[in-house]
Amino acid sequence: MAEHKLTLTLDNVSKSFARVDKNDITNALENIDLTMHDGEFISVVGTSGCGKSTMLRLIAGLITPTTGTLTVNGTEIDGPDPDRGMVFQQPTLFPWLTVEKNISFSFRMRHQLEGHEDEVRRILDVIGLTAFKDDYPAQLSGGMAQRVALARSLICQPEILLLDEPLGALDAFTRMNMQDEILDIWRRTRQLVVMVTHDVDEAIYMGTKVVVMEPHPGRIMGEIDIAMDYPRNRSSSQFVAYRNQILDMLHYGNKEE
Amino acid sequence: MKGSLIDRNRKGILMEDAKSRAKITREQLMELEQKEKTPAQLARDMLVTLLPLIAFIASQLEYWLVPNKYRNANPERYTILLLIPIAIYMIRWVISRVRYRGGDKKLYWRILHMAPLWTAVYVFLTAFDWLTLKTGKLMYPFIPWVNDILNAAITDWRMLLKSTLFSLRLLLLGYFWGVAVGLVTGIACGYSEKIRYWINPIVKLLGPIPVATWLPLIMLLFPSPFSGSIFIIALGTWFAVTMATITGISNIDRSYFDAARILGAKGSQLIFRVAIPHAVPNILQGMTQGMSSACIGLMVAEMMGVEAGLGWYITWAKAWAMFNRMFAAIVVICIIFNAVAKALELIKRRALRWQNGGSK
Repeated sequence: MAEHKLTLTLDNVSKSFARVDKNDITNALENIDLTMHDGEFISVVGTSGCGKSTMLRLIAGLITPTTGTLTVNGTEIDGPDPDRGMVFQQPTLFPWLTVEKNISFSFRMRHQLEGHEDEVRRILDVIGLTAFKDDYPAQLSGGMAQRVALARSLICQPEILLLDEPLGALDAFTRMNMQDEILDIWRRTRQLVVMVTHDVDEAIYMGTKVVVMEPHPGRIMGEIDIAMDYPRNRSSSQFVAYRNQILDMLHYGNKEE
Repeated sequence: MKGSLIDRNRKGILMEDAKSRAKITREQLMELEQKEKTPAQLARDMLVTLLPLIAFIASQLEYWLVPNKYRNANPERYTILLLIPIAIYMIRWVISRVRYRGGDKKLYWRILHMAPLWTAVYVFLTAFDWLTLKTGKLMYPFIPWVNDILNAAITDWRMLLKSTLFSLRLLLLGYFWGVAVGLVTGIACGYSEKIRYWINPIVKLLGPIPVATWLPLIMLLFPSPFSGSIFIIALGTWFAVTMATITGISNIDRSYFDAARILGAKGSQLIFRVAIPHAVPNILQGMTQGMSSACIGLMVAEMMGVEAGLGWYITWAKAWAMFNRMFAAIVVICIIFNAVAKALELIKRRALRWQNGGSK
């Protein structure tokens, strides 16, 4: 096995939530074992309630596991860190800050803005929103806002980029463009990307590996390495074969026969 | 090929950019979509814009030609007062006509929009003058005519100015303290569950009680009526600002905190860089409410407690049956409160530029 600069390990991780309505608990994740390395693009698919977002929030450090451990290069994850960037389904840009100030937010939180203005300018150029740097989020379209959210995470140069259905709220065409943009960025930076999606095609199109999950309780059903070169053809026979395999695992496979 | 995809995308954005910032004004767009006006309609518009001038002339004919029922000193003052707005109006009208010829119709349309209102003002003043000075039908001597009020204001201007400054000082001091303490209380409640637990019941219990209720007690407890009045004014403001701040901070979507934490924000940064900016619209709303509450507090305090200021001036003038002076003070109060509200509104619009994607 090759040397990896970064290894993210989930070791027998379970997460349960106390339910608000009933005196009961929900097992969102049960006994998750997963190892990921830099340079990988992991797509996580599954129906709603399979705990895929919970898994991302655990990796981000926003919540702590009930049992089990999450480690990065052997160090246990303890709270959020800009090294683990995250983009949500909603852009969650701060509406009172301009595009530029949203992007430089993490620098200002760490009192490091000086010396980083160039980076802000460069990333604005990369996402093609230089002309909009003084606009407020309310003035942006959904696609633009999500680009800014992406830039806001990327500017910290995270070792791990967590994407929680980042394209779920976009229209089909913007979505396909953004898929290519994200892949383009990933191919340059080679960091570890973990993307949660409910779109099987998106998972295959983008991931080096697809992790298929099942709900109640949330667990991993299988990991499929996607052995295809980028850019991928969505209608190639290989792509269709992967799609059928994953849909089968999710019990959506045989309906038409 | 991958690169070209992104390039195409970027070009798309630039096109969008150029389109949204094209050099066609809203007025030009409206005009393009409207039916062209007929010469008769244009003539009618012109007549409407001149109605205020006609109403002004009518008011002066009525004022100077109809015999007075009461003695009216310095009659020219009323004419000068009414002349100022109409003169400004007519200067703007001339400018708007010149611009209209040049193709810029914005100002003319704005004047056309405001003309009926100004006409109504002059018609009202004419009717008011006839009902008071000319006939005394409107409960003379309780309601004096405009020139009488004007004379009173000019005669007693030192006293009015002194009272105005006193009231402003009281209002702004009380308001400042109310806002400051209100912000601290509200933010502390938003910051800590424990503080909210203890403060919330107090706010809920005391909030709905009108501040005037406390006045007699406060006048006894405080060393001077002045400090008591500041407290009364501050109390109402404090309540409004505290409530609004708590609401603003507790309404924040958790996901903003998540996003901020992932970007490296910690502890107090979450409050000062996320929660408070998010609460600013509520806080400003609370400050507006607080101002109206402060104005009420001011009047109550001055009419019942301190022996100075415009509120006191009104009670004093009324006691001596100097209704013209009373009305003069009311007009001054009207101007001041409106000016203060307008100033707050400007601050609000400036601070909330980000809200509706407004222009910079």
